[in-house]
Amino acid sequence: MEMTSIIAARDLVKRFGSFQAVKGISFEVEQGHCIGLLGPNGAGKTTTMRMIMGLSTVSGGTLEVFDIPVGAMTRGIKSKIGLVPQESNLDSDITVSENLKVYGRYFGLAANVIGERVPRLLEFMQLHERAESRVTQLSGGMKRRLIIARALISDPELIILDEPTKGLDPQARVLIWNQLLELKRRGKTLLLTTHNMDEAQRLCDRIIIVDHGEILDEGSPRDLIDRHVLGHVFEVGKPLPAALNGKHWEHEDIGDAVLFYVRSSDDFVAGLPDSADFIQRPANLEDVFLRLTGRKLREN
Amino acid sequence: MLAAPITSTLAVTWRQYVVWRKLLRSSIATNVLNPILFLFAFGFGLGRFIDSMQGVSYMAFVVPGMIGYAAMFAASFETTIGAFSRFYQQRNWDAVLSTPVKLRELLFGEVLWAALKAMISAVCVLVVGWLWGGIPSLSGALIALPIVFVAALGFASYGLVATSMAQGYEFFSYFFTFWVTPMFVFCGVFFEIDRFPIYIQAISWVLPMTHLIAIIRPLTVGLPVDMAMMAFHLGYSVALTIAAFAIAFLQIRRRMFD
Ligand SMILES: Nc1ncnc2c1ncn2[C@@H]1O[C@H](COP(=O)(O)OP(=O)(O)OP(=O)(O)O)[C@@H](O)[C@H]1O
Ligand SMILES: [Mg+2]
Repeated sequence: MEMTSIIAARDLVKRFGSFQAVKGISFEVEQGHCIGLLGPNGAGKTTTMRMIMGLSTVSGGTLEVFDIPVGAMTRGIKSKIGLVPQESNLDSDITVSENLKVYGRYFGLAANVIGERVPRLLEFMQLHERAESRVTQLSGGMKRRLIIARALISDPELIILDEPTKGLDPQARVLIWNQLLELKRRGKTLLLTTHNMDEAQRLCDRIIIVDHGEILDEGSPRDLIDRHVLGHVFEVGKPLPAALNGKHWEHEDIGDAVLFYVRSSDDFVAGLPDSADFIQRPANLEDVFLRLTGRKLREN
Repeated sequence: MLAAPITSTLAVTWRQYVVWRKLLRSSIATNVLNPILFLFAFGFGLGRFIDSMQGVSYMAFVVPGMIGYAAMFAASFETTIGAFSRFYQQRNWDAVLSTPVKLRELLFGEVLWAALKAMISAVCVLVVGWLWGGIPSLSGALIALPIVFVAALGFASYGLVATSMAQGYEFFSYFFTFWVTPMFVFCGVFFEIDRFPIYIQAISWVLPMTHLIAIIRPLTVGLPVDMAMMAFHLGYSVALTIAAFAIAFLQIRRRMFD
């Protein structure tokens, strides 16, 4: 099947003065897919999304959204994109439903269209009981849901979500996951960032891992796990049993212990003495993430 | 259907109106009571010692000045403290620019709203001043109002220039000290500028408020209007407004998008 790319970035660069936040990345987002942009703090995810929205100029390379360079984006194209920003920028002095109505006007929507969509969106994000509350009276989780509802006011085809579940409790997270999957079923294209690997694994068809403004790898969650951390992880305490020395298992030293990435757990266990101290678990996306981006804390 | 740039601009202005409705009380306190209190001070205080100025009663002299000041203060406040908090603290401008609204429409919507608010203040002062006998020519005052509106678009734009340069709220203390207050003191709001030495008068004529008052005072007082001079004062204000809006636009574009 021929795939239409909704977003196409080629050698995309963003410079802030002499600092390069995005260093020539190339990727595509196909129609109807959910693509995850994953990376440590400061990797350049938000910067990339802001360039896609036309909120930040492109310093180098090309970036096309709906086949149009972002610099030449028309009103029509802009209306087809909804953004959930990382930081809340709701209108805090007015009510929940007023926030949606005001936002709808920015898209030039007719009053009757807005009037019909607002209750539906509030229902979709389970905010209908708070329609008349001021935003200042909402909890953090409700505000997050309102921002998502707001991004949907123009019924966009492409939805860009910068940490949509930031600061949410598990219940609210599940609600948002379900609603995002529902949007995907309706054929919407999603580009998402998150620091929650479980979320990325559930929602994303493909994941792009970035760090320091560069793409480290991309693929489906399965492929990435297969490629980088095989299938199983054994965390073996130090000192290592002699049986493990000299054998060529994929491994990573994490200080007190060594992580072994193995395809078949039986083979690995067979070579261990009974006294060995280890923890075994299936490998997941978090292992891939940490393996690719390192374990050091990102400061500054 | 209106053209898209107009719909976008009005959407921004409408948002300001929706928020303003909620915060009506504090807004009225700052923009309406403030100039009216000044009017009382001038009327009861200074007015007692001054029989006439430029051949008219002191109230007739000071009311048009206070109309101009009220408009200038309200418009300046809106596009400085108000706009800066939307730009910088609430990040409302980011939200707006994530929609089809373009930066120039956003900024023009801000300026338009500031000018409308300025008109609310100006009209309140006009009504109080008229009841007080400070408006000898009501028809002249009504002609003055659209001119006050044009000038208010300017005051809003000058405020936006300050906002485009501000890195924090403290910056606006410079704006109020070196721009708003001088326009109160040096532009003939509450006494005639010919009393200043000539080099101070030169400063007065650079400031747009002087030109506004030079147009509206003869109107509210009911003096004959010199059309050529009126065109000159208005032209000066409009040119300065366009320059200020362009500077604000370019600086904000650089700050937001680069
Ligand atoms: N306006 C700016 N001026 C200068 N540097 C900036 C600006 N915006 C972002 N940066 C820098 O660009 C880099 C990438 O930032 P960005 O916000 O894109 O990271 P991120 O991947 O979204 O991180 P996080 O997970 O913390 O949200 C960081 O080093 C950041 O400090
Ligand atoms: Mg970010």
